[in-house]
Amino acid sequence: MSDNHTLTRSFLRPITGDAHLRPPCEVTCPIHTDVQRYVQLVAEGRPAAALAVVRETNPLPQVIGRICAHPCEEDCRRGQVDEPIAICNLKRAAGDGAGDAGAVTVPPQPEFAGGRQVAIIGSGPSGLAAAHDLALLGVKPVIFEQQPEPGGFLRTGILNFRLPKHILDEDIAYITGMGVEIRTGVSIGRDITLKELDEQYDAVLIAVGLSLSRSIPLPGADLPGVCLAIPFLEDVNAGRDVDLGKEIIVIGGGNVAIDVARAARRLSAGKVTMVCLESDQEMPAHAWEIKDARDEGIDIVCGQGPKAILGDGRVEGLEVKKCESVFDDSGRFAPTFCETELSTIAGDTVIIAIGQMSDLSFVPGNGPELDQRGLLVFDRRRWATTRPGIFASGEVVTGPGAAVNALASGRRAAVSIARYLGLDIKDYPEPEAIGELPRRVREEQVRQAPRRRMPTRPEDERVSDFNEVETGMGEVDARCEASRCLLCGGGARYSQLKCISCLTCVRVCPYGAPTADKDGLVGIDADVCQACGICFTQCPAKAIDLEVVSEQELAARIDAAAAGGGTLEFGCWYPQTRVAPEARAVMLPCTGRLSVTMLLRALEAGAEKVYVAVCSEDDDGHFVHGHRQTRAAVQEARSLLEDIDLEPDLIELKVVAEKKCLKGAAG
Amino acid sequence: MIVTKPKPFRKIKQFTDPHENILVVGCNTCTAVCLAGGEKEAEQLAARIRLHRRRQGLGGSVETVTVLRQCEHEFNEEIAEMVEGRDLLLSTACSIGPQALAERYTGVRVAPAMNTNMLGMVKEHHVWSEYCVACGDCGIYKTGGICPIARCAKQLFNGPCGGSQGGRCEISPDVDCVWQQIHDKMVSLGLEDDLKKIMGPKNWSWSNHGGPRTLKKEGFQP
Repeated sequence: MSDNHTLTRSFLRPITGDAHLRPPCEVTCPIHTDVQRYVQLVAEGRPAAALAVVRETNPLPQVIGRICAHPCEEDCRRGQVDEPIAICNLKRAAGDGAGDAGAVTVPPQPEFAGGRQVAIIGSGPSGLAAAHDLALLGVKPVIFEQQPEPGGFLRTGILNFRLPKHILDEDIAYITGMGVEIRTGVSIGRDITLKELDEQYDAVLIAVGLSLSRSIPLPGADLPGVCLAIPFLEDVNAGRDVDLGKEIIVIGGGNVAIDVARAARRLSAGKVTMVCLESDQEMPAHAWEIKDARDEGIDIVCGQGPKAILGDGRVEGLEVKKCESVFDDSGRFAPTFCETELSTIAGDTVIIAIGQMSDLSFVPGNGPELDQRGLLVFDRRRWATTRPGIFASGEVVTGPGAAVNALASGRRAAVSIARYLGLDIKDYPEPEAIGELPRRVREEQVRQAPRRRMPTRPEDERVSDFNEVETGMGEVDARCEASRCLLCGGGARYSQLKCISCLTCVRVCPYGAPTADKDGLVGIDADVCQACGICFTQCPAKAIDLEVVSEQELAARIDAAAAGGGTLEFGCWYPQTRVAPEARAVMLPCTGRLSVTMLLRALEAGAEKVYVAVCSEDDDGHFVHGHRQTRAAVQEARSLLEDIDLEPDLIELKVVAEKKCLKGAAG
Repeated sequence: MIVTKPKPFRKIKQFTDPHENILVVGCNTCTAVCLAGGEKEAEQLAARIRLHRRRQGLGGSVETVTVLRQCEHEFNEEIAEMVEGRDLLLSTACSIGPQALAERYTGVRVAPAMNTNMLGMVKEHHVWSEYCVACGDCGIYKTGGICPIARCAKQLFNGPCGGSQGGRCEISPDVDCVWQQIHDKMVSLGLEDDLKKIMGPKNWSWSNHGGPRTLKKEGFQP
């Protein structure tokens, strides 16, 4: 009996599909930036539009495009094929390209009509992000920064060779351009108290970060020639003279330690050695940072813990003991040492870079509660301290992490503050990721394409100054890199309401993504779909559309490009080679996603001649069977033109001669 | 399903050229499944007609709408607003569709954009074969599940004829002899002796030889 419902299938079936599934890059990104969309815009050569997409979720796009820890890349499905997309570099390329193109981005001008004001303590990434979002919500933010210039750790802790100050200035100028006020040189507790802020403002956000270096009680730690990471970085960033010796020892294995070592390398002609407890693989610094340091000639001594700083009146070296293990069985930091295996590293300067902590000395005894360790007691869900109206975000409550995590917490705190002020704001949606790339697709069907490398200045040149090390991808390289994106989840969207179970998609998909059951219910597996678009062109009931470059969008692009006559090229963004450079172009992931109707539409919209780029017959290009589909559609369109006594050559195929993006070398 | 094939454009333009406001009506059932007249093909045909009319200097408008099945009035009812003011409905359904439109929209001229070819089955993508002629008296139990009326050029009941050559029909070396297939199938089922029994004459009055047919299932009328 249960099998008989085929006979009574309703013609009104619900629309389902996997529209809610998002690419893993976006899901992993703490601020859920629509990575796919901006990468796609970079691929199309529209950096200003790409930058605008980044800005939708990221108030510091150019900064993050340089220093992000890019967790997105770890989950990139391209990484299951060869190497992940260089997402972070492409974010920078969007900013660089927009700048090169002279695109002027005018910040939005929100109205602060409600009279609500929020005091934000700290102008680091978390404070800036909260201020940005609150301003957009019509709440006036006033940031208090104790340093003479805004940016927090981005300015005082990150060095110019990784993040040029003018880039930070540009991103901050966008935020202040929105009406965010930043009062620099104001120390909370000294110039104004937390209590006063609490009284004068509708809410307060503590986003002070981790501004103090931790130290270790080592014998000899008070010798001249010993200093802490943060004051050292602050001095270097402020351009103050730093007295470094000839042999510098940096204690620590994290990202800050790497920055300290690389700064020391630039300030001293001598040797720089890092000493850390962890083994090579365990080092907390990012692998790429470690590589940069080694490339610049910095020695990294792993598996050694400091025992004493040696010297008489001045540092002469560091005595170290072998570290046997760093973490206990439950993964907690609990180093054990072999006290008898000792050695000495010669040096005249020791910089301790073993971690940071917050300066909460401005929090009064009757203010927000602190725990026994001196940390803010804090409601993680509401980003709230124990005192109503006083909130906290960023590393002061989350502990050390990437700048993008600080942005995320600032943005979420802004939502919580807005709600506290009576605004009706929804939580940021938490997207769900599509699954793994199936093995068959990964190993047999996705064409490998080498990752483009971020160009850097030569090591011997870059260690002699503080100018930026990474010089930025050129336009062609950036577009090629962006076109490696697999458009995860950006392919077929189908409407079960419109689906007639004809099985065309099942028959034409080269990847086997669509399936149908005996009742005729069709499903298109988003994990498998590669967004080639062949099913979209062939579905007779128009039940399938594409997420990336939908039919509506494609039609609009065709109409715009064909208006006013002339020649139109349907180009493919993978080769990054135009077949009709003089023509107006509609660039697509593959011309195989052009239906006959869309080809005719170009002529209807006014084009006098249409060229369609296609791969050569023996070369599949990015998508399996893409070029076959292109050829079939063009042939059909030409014969239909003949049918109506029009010249078939109005639509013409042109084989792409050179495929820049599918080759190893930079274009 | 019903398999249709678009008429050549030179026929279609004869229907459309004299008219001003044309509505191409697609059908999203059989004719869509056979990739001839569903929503996509209807839009494509409309685009062609517009390009043709532009070239010929013919004005007017050509628009498209598609219903799930033109052979049911309830669906056709839904497009009444779209039909308003048209002087031609060009249907991309099988022949039933334009007839249904003509029944419902009595004041508008109707034209078929399709030729209705057969009751068939998809053999591979873009290839269909005839399997049934709607004779009204299915007898394939006796022929190994293969219809000799639809698939034998002579519609023989007791084949094969002398024109069967090496498993092919004498009309073309590309056409299989269906009686060879029936024979092979019955042998594989161990039923070859059944083929020695002569099949009697068929009652053709249940096909359209008996005039137009109407089916009525008694007792279930609302």
